[in-house]
Amino acid sequence: MVALARKTLVYEWRRFLPAMLAVGFAGLLQLLQLALVLGIFGATSVYITGSSADVWVGFPGTQSVGSGRSIDANVESRVLMDPAVTRVEPYVWVDGDWRGAGETGGMSVFVSGIDPAADGLMFSKVLPPALRERLAEPDAVIVDRADLDKLGVALDQTATINGHRVRVVGISHGLRGLGGINVIASLDTARRLDNDAADNGPTYLVAKLRDPQQAETVAARLRGSSEFGPYTTWSAADFAHISVLYWLFDTGAGAGVLFLAGIVFLVGAVITSQTLVGAVQGSVREYATLNALGVGVGALRKVVLEQAFWVGALGLFGASVLGVLLLLLARSQDVPVVLGPLAAFACIALVMGQAAVSGVAAMRSMRRIDPATLLR
Amino acid sequence: MPSATAPLATPRAPVIEADHVCKAFVSGKLRTPVLNGLSLSIDPGELTLISGPSGCGKSTLLAILSGLQKVDSGRVRALGSELGQLDLRALEHFRLQHTGFVFQGFNLFPALTALEQVELPLNHMGLSKQEARERARRSLEEVGLSHRIKLRPSELSGGEKQRVAIARALAKEPELLFADEPTSALDAANGQVIIDILHTIAHTHGTTVLCVSHDPRLVAHSDRVLAMEDGRILSDRRHGADAPKEPTP
Repeated sequence: MVALARKTLVYEWRRFLPAMLAVGFAGLLQLLQLALVLGIFGATSVYITGSSADVWVGFPGTQSVGSGRSIDANVESRVLMDPAVTRVEPYVWVDGDWRGAGETGGMSVFVSGIDPAADGLMFSKVLPPALRERLAEPDAVIVDRADLDKLGVALDQTATINGHRVRVVGISHGLRGLGGINVIASLDTARRLDNDAADNGPTYLVAKLRDPQQAETVAARLRGSSEFGPYTTWSAADFAHISVLYWLFDTGAGAGVLFLAGIVFLVGAVITSQTLVGAVQGSVREYATLNALGVGVGALRKVVLEQAFWVGALGLFGASVLGVLLLLLARSQDVPVVLGPLAAFACIALVMGQAAVSGVAAMRSMRRIDPATLLR
Repeated sequence: MPSATAPLATPRAPVIEADHVCKAFVSGKLRTPVLNGLSLSIDPGELTLISGPSGCGKSTLLAILSGLQKVDSGRVRALGSELGQLDLRALEHFRLQHTGFVFQGFNLFPALTALEQVELPLNHMGLSKQEARERARRSLEEVGLSHRIKLRPSELSGGEKQRVAIARALAKEPELLFADEPTSALDAANGQVIIDILHTIAHTHGTTVLCVSHDPRLVAHSDRVLAMEDGRILSDRRHGADAPKEPTP
């Protein structure tokens, strides 16, 4: 079989270049947008995903990690009574006002009070044991590398949170938050920093299970008791999901992302289909000749679809190469970008879908192929 | 009626018969008749030339006889098939199996080499890759282009491009070959080459060649010349015949 579609694509590459660029850049935009959104909003659940707790216990109706309220400390014993639970620790969230040594003005910070034990659950994936241990020192805090400039401090320098003096004992990586700066302290330090008299218990209790697979079941089992005041439970995965969705949609960012994705898709599809229509029009007499010789319109349509496929595939290839480079660059600059296999697959599907839509749209222009017009 | 037009010298049955064919083009409220109850029959293995001034309806006649266009009224039979009764797919299949076309423009794909241009329609006829390539090569050899098979249209002269187009039609080994003004875009020498090739095709392959042209050089090489004017056939002359035959109404 003579590969008409591919040979034309190679020979007339200039004609197809705009389509490949359109598909490629549309793909790249979708990819970076998705990676950024997942990265930025993934940061809202770093407390959950950076920790090894399987079940979270918090105030009912809590919509994101940052909006928790304190619960009764005695819930801890209720949770510990469950045979599936191996360890429970409190997690204290304090909203703070940071005043650094430098001239940075007041900064809003989220103080996470955690158990600094080497086998502590909170931030176990982000803080190495050696770093955690330093929190045991009174008024010790750890901040993220990316926030040092904003906070106006360096290692071993002091600052104040809510008027209490704290000292930076360690620098972490991967703790960058959204809407505020994350500061890690021990439970004791965090409680000292909390000026709110209403807070008389932990914001959350986090639990480790013997079998992490049981998270959903255990969370459901622990729910529905009110003897220690109001509380509810989530599996870690659910709570992370709730947090990210809250930020995505309640902040309007999610709708913005979807809107932008739609626009990018449309613009790319229009440019691509117009290019393909142009290519069809450029060869309309040749196609008509083939049709006169008995080659069916269906077979001719396949040529256009195949060209659309190659335009999509080549655009995708370019987008992937550029995308990987840009993601690596973003990572090196501490820009939060996350691209899982599912998101990558979504991008591929989007790009190829765009090419397919363009191909089908371009096929419509083949209705103008009429071999009788060649006899003039 | 056909028996009246078929001379004794060619006792074989006609391959194409048109019977009271009418065709008009409608543009807005204006209806322009092109063919007015035209009847004719084309005999096998001959080079038949339809000539006449531009606008006389010769190209429309070719489109109708080859199944590219439908008639308004009347009937067209080609190789025993009633073309008016075939749907679009059946017509495509008929053309794939039985016809070849050569147009005034060469209509070659810029990206393909001469060999690939000829091979392409053969692929769709269900021939094996090997056979398609072999046939394409033979066909290009026959039009004298065996040394140019690797070249693309941009590297070929006008005459060579038309020879590729003829090879593309010829390689299908069609019973019917339709040519529309095949020499009008070419200079004298190249036009002559094309005329010779068409003549040879009719006489060595037994292909029925129906050619529309106002090129006077083609008249001398045709077996039969139909002169048209205003949608009717004015005269029907056979090469070597003593007197012009009576025109069909």
